[in-house]
Amino acid sequence: MNLTIESIAQDGYHLISLNGDVDTKTAPELLEALTALELAALAELRIEMAAVGFMSSAGLRALVFAKQKMPHASRLVLVGTSAEIADVIEKTGLTQAVTLVASHDEA
Amino acid sequence: MLIERIDALPTDEIAGLKVRPGKPLPFGVSHAPNGLNFSIYTSAGTACTLVLYRRGEDEPFAELPFPEHYRIGDVFCMVVFGLDTEDLEYGFRIDGPHDPGAGHRFDPSKVLMDPYARLIAGRDVWGEVPNWERPYPYRARVSFDDFDWEGERPLEIPSEDLVIYETHVRAFTQSESAGTKHPGTYAALVEKIPYLKDLGINAIELMPIYEFDEFENSRIHPDTGERLYNFWGYSTVGFFAPKAAYAATGSFGMQVDEFKQLVKSFHRAGIEVILDVVFNHTAEGNEHGPTLSFKGLDNKTYYMLTPEGYYFNFSGTGNTLNCNNPIVRNLVLDCLRYWAAEYHIDGFRFDLATILGRDPWGAPLPNPPLLESLAFDPILSSCKLIAEAWDAGGLYQVGTFPAFGRWGEWNGKYRDCLRRYLKGDEAQVGQLAQRVQGSPDLYRPSGRSPATSINFITCHDGFTLADLVSFNDKHNEANGEGNRDGGDDNHSWNCGAEGWTEDQGIVALRQRQMMNAMVMLLTSRGTPMLLMGDEFGRSQHGNNNAYCIDSPISWVDWSLLETNAPLHRLVKALIAFRHRHPALRVNQFDAPGSNLFPSCSFHGTEAWSPDWSDQSRQLAWLMSTNLPEPDGGVDAIYVATNMAHYASWFHFPALPQGFRWHLCFNTGDTAQPCHAGEPPLDAGGILVGDRSVVVLKAMAC
Repeated sequence: MNLTIESIAQDGYHLISLNGDVDTKTAPELLEALTALELAALAELRIEMAAVGFMSSAGLRALVFAKQKMPHASRLVLVGTSAEIADVIEKTGLTQAVTLVASHDEA
Repeated sequence: MLIERIDALPTDEIAGLKVRPGKPLPFGVSHAPNGLNFSIYTSAGTACTLVLYRRGEDEPFAELPFPEHYRIGDVFCMVVFGLDTEDLEYGFRIDGPHDPGAGHRFDPSKVLMDPYARLIAGRDVWGEVPNWERPYPYRARVSFDDFDWEGERPLEIPSEDLVIYETHVRAFTQSESAGTKHPGTYAALVEKIPYLKDLGINAIELMPIYEFDEFENSRIHPDTGERLYNFWGYSTVGFFAPKAAYAATGSFGMQVDEFKQLVKSFHRAGIEVILDVVFNHTAEGNEHGPTLSFKGLDNKTYYMLTPEGYYFNFSGTGNTLNCNNPIVRNLVLDCLRYWAAEYHIDGFRFDLATILGRDPWGAPLPNPPLLESLAFDPILSSCKLIAEAWDAGGLYQVGTFPAFGRWGEWNGKYRDCLRRYLKGDEAQVGQLAQRVQGSPDLYRPSGRSPATSINFITCHDGFTLADLVSFNDKHNEANGEGNRDGGDDNHSWNCGAEGWTEDQGIVALRQRQMMNAMVMLLTSRGTPMLLMGDEFGRSQHGNNNAYCIDSPISWVDWSLLETNAPLHRLVKALIAFRHRHPALRVNQFDAPGSNLFPSCSFHGTEAWSPDWSDQSRQLAWLMSTNLPEPDGGVDAIYVATNMAHYASWFHFPALPQGFRWHLCFNTGDTAQPCHAGEPPLDAGGILVGDRSVVVLKAMAC
């Protein structure tokens, strides 16, 4: 399944909306979209995850990579992450890099 | 101006990939500028090919023969550029003589796994029957050592303060009764941390978690039709990789992160992580076993071989790793350093460790270089090193293991003596006195301390505590070997009936015997170790060697936590008691003692008069030390054990004015063995019931 990525600056945060699977083939596209941002100046980055069915370790690492380039006090928020993906994030200790929320209201 | 490094540029092209000569160290795969550095050792191999696969594919996408000038000494090394690390699996083909009589088994048709592989794919799901025809079953991958520890580091708890809990990752949580989200995984073990923290243990010892093959010697039980596995995992496939099938995220290839998260979570709970490591043999078996890695890389270097080229079998499992060959020695050192540095592991327990002290022909060495290297290694300097000081080749070194001032030992003599005393054998009190003070007879002459002794009554090998008091004989029929496997020297006693019984007298006596064992273990000097589930009476139904059983026989039944609540409460209280009372943890033979008493003294039914006769089944010990300033004071613990079949009045040692004895534990009442906050004892002694143990502490009044 292909991945489509929309990247839009919003008021107070930057939003990346993902649609599809982030696997070994598509993770580089996500990484490219992330590196295109001025991460070092970003206070909050939101990833819309509701339409992501699968995320490989490469995709998760791309997110951690982005968080490490962002300022210390910044937030990387994953919105609407599926239970399976959230589970992997929790089990592998990546929760300290990302904030998981169900909806934009909670972010 | 930033100039790009010259070694970031390729010099050659092989099989369509850009490459350049690599660096020989470190062995295995490492990240190089713009590429990956592959390095592999073979002394007798004549040619080497790097084989590259995309993830999970049976056919390689590239095979790169190493040019002659890519070889330095006995090491082939190459940097390959432009690889997709996430999507990569790699192996090697080695050409060379195939002459088993001379020890050489090269076979270039086989793709071999990197012995330094840090991430191994191919067998991600436990118990999924593998495709035996697959040409490259265990597939080396590239790991990212980029875990965020957030400042976490090993705990460095002094050995004498440890209470070790031996666990098997899968058996601990596989049962539905464990109530975990991902049964049988590292993640499930993390879910059980609150339970372990509440129990009070501060070190967890994990039975093998290096990648192993649960299907090694797997077979179907001839009578029951059940599949038997290599369940325990004492047979290594990859020394640098955590077992993928133990990871809830194994199918994502994220077992490295999940296991690091486990270590981090345990450390945050104040619990050390000790790994049971198996360097005595590998999963490649003997001449009939599979060729996965070492056999095809440099058979003669890695294995101990007879002059005819057959495998020595000191481990009882087919082959013996050639640990005191300098190449293998370095592999072991590199491995332990990697786990200590990269995974923050607190200590290692070495399975059949005396093999590590044998020379390449099997003879015990007086000063084994590997054991010395480990003892003095700068990276391992704060790691616990614990030897199982015997092997299947008949070498028994409890008390004489070459320790270099560093090594602790599983004290098999403690286990045997405590078991025999517990069941009322004659002629045990003299030895018991040695055992409960940390076995000075074994360790004092060589200048070692009580914490050298890992005290245990049960471990994975042998009966569980509940079975020790319920079975006279092993019942290993489920193992499919006609009950011939497993030890016969169990020193167990069934208390009057073999196996499960309705007889309430026997049931009550078993409860008391389990409690007696726990009290004696946790009031002995040295480092105590418990077997998982023994704190609530886990049973293997008389199986004393459940190495092959992946069923409820092996799995911890958590419903027993309720059934045996008094036992669990007692063990929890005993562990807390041990942590509170430094007199039980003095780590010095001939310590000066306290203002009131010697450091350790022995008593009988009369204070200061132990009965050392062969017929004696009663012994009391009193351990004491001054408490540190500024608060000061004296810690004094009196333990009266009566393994006779009649109750006896024990006169306890008199206390000076201002101190009184207080009752802390009495296993005579199995429903309420724990006591606290009660008024001091009035009389000059206490009645200790038949086969019961009483613990008192001195308090200022």
